[in-house]
Amino acid sequence: MNAALRKTLATTAISILSLVSLLPFYIMIVMGTYKNEDLFTRIVLLPGNYLLQNLKTVSASRFDLVYMNSLIVSLSSTALSVFVSACAGFAFAKHDFRHKNKLFAFILLTMMIPGQLGIVAYVIEMRYLQLSGTLLPLILPWIANAFGVFWMTQFIRSAVPTEVLESAKMDGCSSVGVFFRIVIPFIYPAITTLSLLVFLWSWNNYLLPLIIVNKPELFTIPLGITSLGDAYRTDLAAQILGLTLGTLPVLVLFAIGSKSFVRGLTAGSVKG
Amino acid sequence: MHTVKKNWAPYAFLSPYMLFYTVFGLFPIVFSFYVSLTSWDGIGDKTFVGLANYKYLFDPDSHFFQSVGNTLLFVAVTLPLQMAIGLLVATLLYSRWVKWKGFFQLVNFMPYIVTPVAVGLLFNLLFDWQAGFVNKVLLQLGLVDEGVYWLGEPLYARIVIAVMLIWKGFGYTMVFYLAGMANVPKDLHEAAYVDGASGLRAFFSITLPLLKPVTVFIVITGIIGGLQLLEEPMLLLGGSGMGSSVAVIGGPDRCCLTTVWNMYDTAYGSTTRYGLGAAIAYGLCLIIAAFSFAGARLYKGDSE
Repeated sequence: MNAALRKTLATTAISILSLVSLLPFYIMIVMGTYKNEDLFTRIVLLPGNYLLQNLKTVSASRFDLVYMNSLIVSLSSTALSVFVSACAGFAFAKHDFRHKNKLFAFILLTMMIPGQLGIVAYVIEMRYLQLSGTLLPLILPWIANAFGVFWMTQFIRSAVPTEVLESAKMDGCSSVGVFFRIVIPFIYPAITTLSLLVFLWSWNNYLLPLIIVNKPELFTIPLGITSLGDAYRTDLAAQILGLTLGTLPVLVLFAIGSKSFVRGLTAGSVKG
Repeated sequence: MHTVKKNWAPYAFLSPYMLFYTVFGLFPIVFSFYVSLTSWDGIGDKTFVGLANYKYLFDPDSHFFQSVGNTLLFVAVTLPLQMAIGLLVATLLYSRWVKWKGFFQLVNFMPYIVTPVAVGLLFNLLFDWQAGFVNKVLLQLGLVDEGVYWLGEPLYARIVIAVMLIWKGFGYTMVFYLAGMANVPKDLHEAAYVDGASGLRAFFSITLPLLKPVTVFIVITGIIGGLQLLEEPMLLLGGSGMGSSVAVIGGPDRCCLTTVWNMYDTAYGSTTRYGLGAAIAYGLCLIIAAFSFAGARLYKGDSE
């Protein structure tokens, strides 16, 4: 096979697969631009002209509030989780202390535990602490993130040179100073990747809010999307537009961060 | 920093994690185990019943093993295909023959990052009996005489879920394979090329063996993640919102009831049996532990 033929074949194959990936999204976006009645009568392939009216229907359901809730929950979860993970990762990667290996093995073990294991009691705990009327129950479980600790430990161990840390200590820099001034700047790629992941996980989380959130004012995007269905049972077009709007933020985030995400994965996780 | 052994620093840096894990991670897990030994609806008094809830898991009425079987079936069917397609896309993207790598990479990763709830609802719309895109196209092309009842027949419903999971999941395996390929030394391929090995040969005897750690990682995380399947089938079939107003638990004949869906329905859906719900969660955890253990053994056996 010559090079030109290979190039054509490879490009054709990847294009077909990409089309398969994109088609449902395309249908979703296009359906959101039509009047509800039109969706039942014909196949819609090109964008329609009903987008603004559908937008009005969606915004009447206080979708902006749902958006805000999701942003608050995901941003706080991400910031806290990444910070706490980086702290613990620094402790494991660059310090010696008693039972260190046992503790690290235990944290690795907890990575295997499904998130649903403690959920029944967690809901009771939140009720007992009188937090069920707030967004906090959706943030707290992300803060201690075993995967994050594993990730940060691996990265700090390989990316931060111990000599630099030691010379900074010699110069009289405190441990906290070393962490913020030296460790953090070295691990930006790991921070980016972990942030994207935690944001994605918490943004998409459905089971916990479904169980714990009991009033519409606290709905996050996944709940908001399903409740659009209840409010507009007949208006399919508005519901689909809601789906599009709800998935937009993570798509934009990954479109921006996609390159550094994969770079971070390459540098960190899969060295065996 | 091995110089100072008795140092407060590591403990200080670890303390936030330990604190939050103990209060919001470990405590609920331990307390859930206690709940699983009781009969409790969350409002009245707890009655200690010992292992009765666990015994009930073996009763067909609990649908526990049925739901585990359904979930394992989905994993067994979809994971190999996700891996094959993901590996194919990664190989194409990593080859010299494809341009706009960043763009194609993002496009194929998109299904994975979309909210699972939205994926379930989207496929519910696409495969709707009446207004669905798929049926309309099939009718238009004259391939069927009347719309296929995709979500009402057990076999069809399972096929739709498998298609949905493969569509959603191959981007995940692609990303990890891409990351793994970047760590395969380039000169190995050049050496193979100089020695006259074909591209296919080089792929099977150099790239694939070197990607083994990635493959093991994907298999283990894929099984653990797959066993926790919930949103996609629930919103595809649950009728929560769009489509039918009747909540169907687990689809036709509960053929698509997953373990976590079963737990949710037991504790917070059809019934409020917290104790039984907690027991289902522990049962699932045991099954995941068994798979993780087997996976770890396999991994160790390979590297020796």
